Amino acid sequence: MNVEFTLNGKRETFDVEKSDLLLDVLRRNGYTGSKRGCDTGACGFCTVLVDGEPENSCVTPVTKIEGSEVETIEGLGTQDDLHPVQQAFVNRTSLQCGFCIPGMIMSAKALLEDNPDPTKQEVREGLEDNLCRCTGYKKIVEAVMDASELMNGEVAADGGWVDEPTRPDACGIECSTPGETNE
Amino acid sequence: MSKPAGDPNADTETGAAEAIEETEQYPMEFEESENNRKAESERENISDSVEKYDARKIATGEARYTADFSINFPDLLHAKVLRSDIAHGYVKNIDTSAAEEMDGVYAVITPEDDVVPDELYTSAGQSYPEPTPWDMRVLQTHVRYVGDPIAAVAAVDAATADKALRKMSVEYEEREPVLDYHEAMDPDAPQLFEPGDVENKQTGADYERNRESRIAGEIGNVDATFEQAEHRDDWHVHETEWETPYQSHCIPEPHTTIGYRDEDNRYTFVTATQVPNHTRRQLSHLFDIPVRDIRVHKPRVGAGYGGKQAMILEPIVLALVLETDHPVKLEATRQEEFTAMRFRHPMSVTLRSVVSDDGELKAMDLYALSNTGAYGPHGMTVAGNVGTKPLPIYPRTENVKFVADIVNTNLPIAAALRGYGAPQGHFAVESHIDEVAHDLGMDPIEFRSINHVREGDLDAIAGILGGDAEGSKRRVRSCGMSECIARGKEAIGWDDLEQPEEDHCHRGVGIALNAQGSGVAGDNLGAAHIKMNEDGSFIMQVGGVDTGSGTDTMFTQIAAEVIGCDAESVVLQSSDTDITPFDYGSYASSTTYISGQAAKKAAEDALDSILYWAAKLLEEPKDDLEATDGVVRSTVTGEHVTLESIGYESIYGGPENEQVMGEASHSTEESPSPFGAQFVDVTVDEETGEYELNKMVYAADCGVAINPALVEGQIEGGEHMSLELAVSGNLEFDEDGEPQTLGFRQYGMPRTTDHPDMETILVETHEPTGPFGAKSIAELPTNGVPPALSNAIYDAVGVRISTLPVTAEKISAALEE
Repeated sequence: MNVEFTLNGKRETFDVEKSDLLLDVLRRNGYTGSKRGCDTGACGFCTVLVDGEPENSCVTPVTKIEGSEVETIEGLGTQDDLHPVQQAFVNRTSLQCGFCIPGMIMSAKALLEDNPDPTKQEVREGLEDNLCRCTGYKKIVEAVMDASELMNGEVAADGGWVDEPTRPDACGIECSTPGETNE
Repeated sequence: MSKPAGDPNADTETGAAEAIEETEQYPMEFEESENNRKAESERENISDSVEKYDARKIATGEARYTADFSINFPDLLHAKVLRSDIAHGYVKNIDTSAAEEMDGVYAVITPEDDVVPDELYTSAGQSYPEPTPWDMRVLQTHVRYVGDPIAAVAAVDAATADKALRKMSVEYEEREPVLDYHEAMDPDAPQLFEPGDVENKQTGADYERNRESRIAGEIGNVDATFEQAEHRDDWHVHETEWETPYQSHCIPEPHTTIGYRDEDNRYTFVTATQVPNHTRRQLSHLFDIPVRDIRVHKPRVGAGYGGKQAMILEPIVLALVLETDHPVKLEATRQEEFTAMRFRHPMSVTLRSVVSDDGELKAMDLYALSNTGAYGPHGMTVAGNVGTKPLPIYPRTENVKFVADIVNTNLPIAAALRGYGAPQGHFAVESHIDEVAHDLGMDPIEFRSINHVREGDLDAIAGILGGDAEGSKRRVRSCGMSECIARGKEAIGWDDLEQPEEDHCHRGVGIALNAQGSGVAGDNLGAAHIKMNEDGSFIMQVGGVDTGSGTDTMFTQIAAEVIGCDAESVVLQSSDTDITPFDYGSYASSTTYISGQAAKKAAEDALDSILYWAAKLLEEPKDDLEATDGVVRSTVTGEHVTLESIGYESIYGGPENEQVMGEASHSTEESPSPFGAQFVDVTVDEETGEYELNKMVYAADCGVAINPALVEGQIEGGEHMSLELAVSGNLEFDEDGEPQTLGFRQYGMPRTTDHPDMETILVETHEPTGPFGAKSIAELPTNGVPPALSNAIYDAVGVRISTLPVTAEKISAALEE
């Protein structure tokens, strides 16, 4: 059977099996940026945007997205012209093995489109469904904060940071702890 | 009382003479190459956080991991593995007929098939011969855990292969399993291995008692010191016990291998591995195929953390390639990752110590019982690190004993996991030290400061298992431990912690000191080759295996620092057994220290030719020239020539044409320790036992940090894994040994919201034996959080948690006592 949807801004028709999941169809057709991590929607490595919302493509039946708009990592910037979120991840060295990064960047993009000026705690909550094993998330959260500034035009997109942004961190603790503030 | 004969604590003139002799035998000085020690202002490359070599292709999704190569093979077959669903017994029969008749199934293999080697081997990706028993087979008939591979299928797609697995029926003859490792050595425990089931047995093996190995070492006289303590009021004995669980690597990219026979009739593998050269050798031995006919190519790897210091899927793939003569891909499922790949060893560790009133450590006696699971890859060597990594934090302790038993059980296979035994050891040592400090009425930092390692110490403990006592000592030539403690203490706010307003909430801080190593002393090899293009750029081949940490970037920075060019001028090719020089692989914190030194020496070799051509062009003596800023300049006349001019002249200039190249190998007896201090700030609710981490600080001395941002990334990622071991990592099994932790949903891998604020501090020292003064960093920070958290909880509410993970229930129960 055929399924038709918009992929990275272009109308596409794919020959699929009824039982196919979106990730299978993407990867089979060369869109290998989305990674297979668990096949149960539990790691976020396969995150793509469906009508602007982050979805785990490994548990999304392809028949369900007929007529939808799908965005994958391949639809963002190129190596010579990175999207601000990609640029921020590169500048901050927020990536190591990189297997979670395409999904993480797609979630971060959706987060910033929804909330262009998030606090660190909001970034953490927004990326809660995307696992990363290499970084301890520190530089990832920092990159998303940087990307927010980049996209809001607060920092020139020249690839370098004039000042390292410093912000008080949210502690997230239930007992109130003196000296710590939630933004 | 009179001192026993040969008292190791006796301070005599003979002792002083020995000290002088030792200074000569283990000098502080080390002859470094002239360029090795540079002030920060003189460094052109290594101290910059240059962009990670593969950053852009990762950010755009173009980086290709093993599974992404599938689209290159139109006739690719997809493999699946049938695994034992009993913990212990024998496969009496597998009915494969229904599976074999299915459309789209190309092959079903069992141990009966000729393509499946009838050989014992180990999956441990170690040097030859592996310090690990050969105790497993590619497909098993005697199954020893739920997950043991017993048959495999290759089919036209993964769904068909899965269906074929479900059509196979297996008859077992069950045996009683060993499921509690504390009971594995009991005389009446069921036995896992019969005579003839194991070759290449290791030290102290006793398979009648399910013991893979027993290791032991001692310096000084531990028993005499404990006996002495019994008679002295000013010496104190402490004994503590600690327990750690299974931990999963949670490797982002599941183990994946593609194998095929190429047009030259050779077997090529694209595979997610940390050890391409070991894998090639081990496949060669197992299948009796010459090394030259096997090629192992490592693409981007979605991390390893030790889990891919192993040859797990490659033999099954090769057997299926031989059977079908098609390219075959095998990709582990996440459930297989959580049940049938590899894990951190659960351990039970006991530590006894003698300490004097004034806080001097007189003796330490460490015993570890390690559960290696059904088979023993890395079993003995991991257990060794339990003692040899953390105990040298206190190297002036004159009497030290360390013993470990490594036992088999009918549970999943433990093997290499970042830290490699050191995290279990650190939990015991650094929590024990805290207890002793409190008993002495001393601040835990003050007590540590009396005893911890300093520059100039002669450490005999790291080599305690070595046998040759004299040959195994290590002079500590770089150590920033004091500064790590001072700066970390300041950052965590040790001295001015404010308590929460709520009476039932209490805030505390804890510290743990960390040590590791830089490669395996005397058992390592890195090699590199570099060639110059006519435009003055370079192509460098290194065997060093980047599995994500950024070592490819580090290699380009080291070469650039030597040659005086930009790191971007160096194109890097890594880890292809046909193309790149030999390397043992990325493990044991060796890549920067060992392979990085090979890269530096290769670049120096090339620089020699560059200077030769520059001298010709400038008509000045070679000795007057220096390479900097992409040119070679005369220090006498100031004249210069660009690398591009040298490139064109050397290749197109005339009858003397040559390509400027450099090559080098590096191996060493040295393995200097990086040092670190982990701090944890925690708030505990005494009503519920619930706790929240407020902040973690890690201060690290890895010598000169090459690419500080990448080094910080290693520390923050290492702390993440350490945090998990402390608070949430564990595997659960039912009473039959059936795994209950099958995926991320059941396993407690920390998410963004589970991480407290983290601060990373780099303390620079200069390690003269390392490239530009560098030591390793990757494993060091996996050691700190469990003891630092246990110590912080003690500081907050006065109870000691001695088993991991630390839970609210355990704290609550301890508070009720």
